[in-house]
Amino acid sequence: MANIVRAASRRDVLKLGGLTTAGAMLGAGHAHAAGKLSFMHESSFIPAYDDFLKKTLVPEYQKATGIDVDYQLVSVGSLQTRIATAAETGNGPDVTCIYFSWPFLFDEKLVDLSDIAETIGKKNGGWYDSIKEAVIVNGKWKAIPFGNVGQIMNWRTDWFAEVGVKDFPDTWDELLEAGVKLKKAGHPFGFELGHGFGDNHGWLYPLLWSYGAREVEPDGKTVAIDSDETARAIDFCRKFFLATTLEDCLGWTDVSNNKAWMSEQISCTNNAESILWFAKKQFPEIAKVTEQSLNPQGPKGRFHILGPWNHSIYNFSQNQQAAKDFLVWLMDPKQVERWYASADSYYAPFLHAYDDAPLWHVEPRNLPYRDSLKTSHLPGWPAPIGRPQSESVAKYVVVDMFAKACAGKSTKEVIADANAQLKQIFKTA
Amino acid sequence: MSAHTETLTRPAIRPRAKPSLRRWTEREGVFSWLMVIPPVLFLVALVGYPFVYGIWLSLENRPVARAGEFIGIGNFVANFHDPVFWQVAQNTFVYTFAATALKMAGGLALALVMNQDFRFKNSIRAIMLLPFIVPTVLSTIAWMWILDPSFSVVNWFLIRWGIANPGPSWLGNPSLAMFSLIMVNTWRGLPFYAITLLAGLQTISPELYEAATIDGATALARFRYVTLPLLKPVIFIVTMFSVIFTFSDFQLVYVLTRGGPANATHLFATYAFDVAMGAGQFGLGASIALSMLPPLALLIAGMAWYMRGEKQ
Repeated sequence: MANIVRAASRRDVLKLGGLTTAGAMLGAGHAHAAGKLSFMHESSFIPAYDDFLKKTLVPEYQKATGIDVDYQLVSVGSLQTRIATAAETGNGPDVTCIYFSWPFLFDEKLVDLSDIAETIGKKNGGWYDSIKEAVIVNGKWKAIPFGNVGQIMNWRTDWFAEVGVKDFPDTWDELLEAGVKLKKAGHPFGFELGHGFGDNHGWLYPLLWSYGAREVEPDGKTVAIDSDETARAIDFCRKFFLATTLEDCLGWTDVSNNKAWMSEQISCTNNAESILWFAKKQFPEIAKVTEQSLNPQGPKGRFHILGPWNHSIYNFSQNQQAAKDFLVWLMDPKQVERWYASADSYYAPFLHAYDDAPLWHVEPRNLPYRDSLKTSHLPGWPAPIGRPQSESVAKYVVVDMFAKACAGKSTKEVIADANAQLKQIFKTA
Repeated sequence: MSAHTETLTRPAIRPRAKPSLRRWTEREGVFSWLMVIPPVLFLVALVGYPFVYGIWLSLENRPVARAGEFIGIGNFVANFHDPVFWQVAQNTFVYTFAATALKMAGGLALALVMNQDFRFKNSIRAIMLLPFIVPTVLSTIAWMWILDPSFSVVNWFLIRWGIANPGPSWLGNPSLAMFSLIMVNTWRGLPFYAITLLAGLQTISPELYEAATIDGATALARFRYVTLPLLKPVIFIVTMFSVIFTFSDFQLVYVLTRGGPANATHLFATYAFDVAMGAGQFGLGASIALSMLPPLALLIAGMAWYMRGEKQ
């Protein structure tokens, strides 16, 4: 989820109280009468993807069924507010795109899609296991998975080669070693430690997990952040930050590393595919020396963050059956393969039928995004996902724990802070 | 009002005999209420209702898309025990006071300069308003580039003049990040102060200055004993507005840092938004937003009290 400035209006929060009235006025679209369906999406980073749906798939569906699908795009960063407004007012689109662990936040307002999830899975070689933690709420599929916008390592092959590193380091320690040399050579790393919403979580949760640490035990209740594993992860992170990274990363948001990359300030970062995609369009010379690799592994394994785009149907929709039929049609190999392909491999399919699909070979450097799916989880893992995880993410508990340590606080202190915050969050669960 | 034509043809009977609608609406007490009701309804619907609903929300455990459960002051108790909440409160006060003081000093100086007679006076006054007119999100994105360590024009000069190399990390260092935000807020708010104070300055009669000059008052004394006392009511109003807007600022922080690094620049409004929208905890978010109310109310009451004391 890079390249995003979340420029939501202040009114969105101040007028929380007025959601009911505001909803009617904002009108992301109304649940349509029969013969029509509304489908809400956030504008994609890849324009061709939205175009393909609007200009090819929508007319095809209209031809096949007579149903007119109104594809409503909302601005980048505003989807959660729109989903919330619709859920609160009972007035909005029939089908919506939905990210991360949001099916857990809006659970009560979403239709059970277990039946069609099974149908779609069967037709497409079965679902990846990792996506299930994001869409199955209390045993029911509340969203149909679409694709993953993964976060992996982006690195400069030319500068790494200058310090004698040909392949991307396999472990965090080896990456640190390379980073020390690279920073000395004037090519520091740039890993976000600020309050963005993708590029920080994208490496800090995997780092935490790869040291065997976790926020909460799998029971979903016992806060477990105060552990030796966490302490080791933090100590590593501080060392890594001081020895390899730009100080400015502490204040970065999600646009920052893209800017730094295109201006050749950094030699390695954690990002979605957008860096390579954008470099190929605008900075071909940089694109040539940009490579992507899986996250390094720590003492307890290799992990990635799950960044799913899924589709849900609101239970206030007047056209629930029609909406389900549409999703089944959309996720049919005849349609969905072309939709995936329209975005190259920006959205990694959660369906095994596409594991070796042609879309992956358009840009072989994107293959690690596919491979990362097996080891991808949502923030909060290994606890079952629920509402508290959203709160922990929104309060940047894990990100700030690392950031404060990097800015100079003691490991003990930052763990104590995170521990207190998590205890408060999970008590209200 | 529909009775208009009727009045022309009305037979000459005694007015008191038949109380008409028109007569009723023409009574001052009634008419003034009729005029006031639409704006009052408007305010009740768009300000009063959300406000009361906000208070109600703050007393509930109210996750998004789920019915609320009344928990009394539970959210406020949770905030009381939340270290981030206190950090946010501290940030908001530092931000508000520093920015307001800078805007006040700078705005007054600017107004005094602009109050002089010089060529292109009007166009320069208009240009001065630019930071205030440009949409905040746009100008803030420009600041994002100015404060970016790689592209920063400030750092370019610092490095070129050999003052610092590498240049400071304006948004990455917690203290500098707050400093930068205060600067940007000051830049944006200065014209509001300057133009309002300028308007105030222009209402001061030149005769007073003449009289003071004849009495032998120096420029400083004229400012101290003529300008400042007469400008006080304007200063009060402009400060009150500025404090309210700065205290509840959102856009600047949201575009530049989103509260980072490690909450060093989180303000009440941004934290409330993250908790309400990001975490889907409407009740808790509302309670954070509402926490702005008591300090603001106290501040404004204090200022009003001070002003009243001055008048007497």
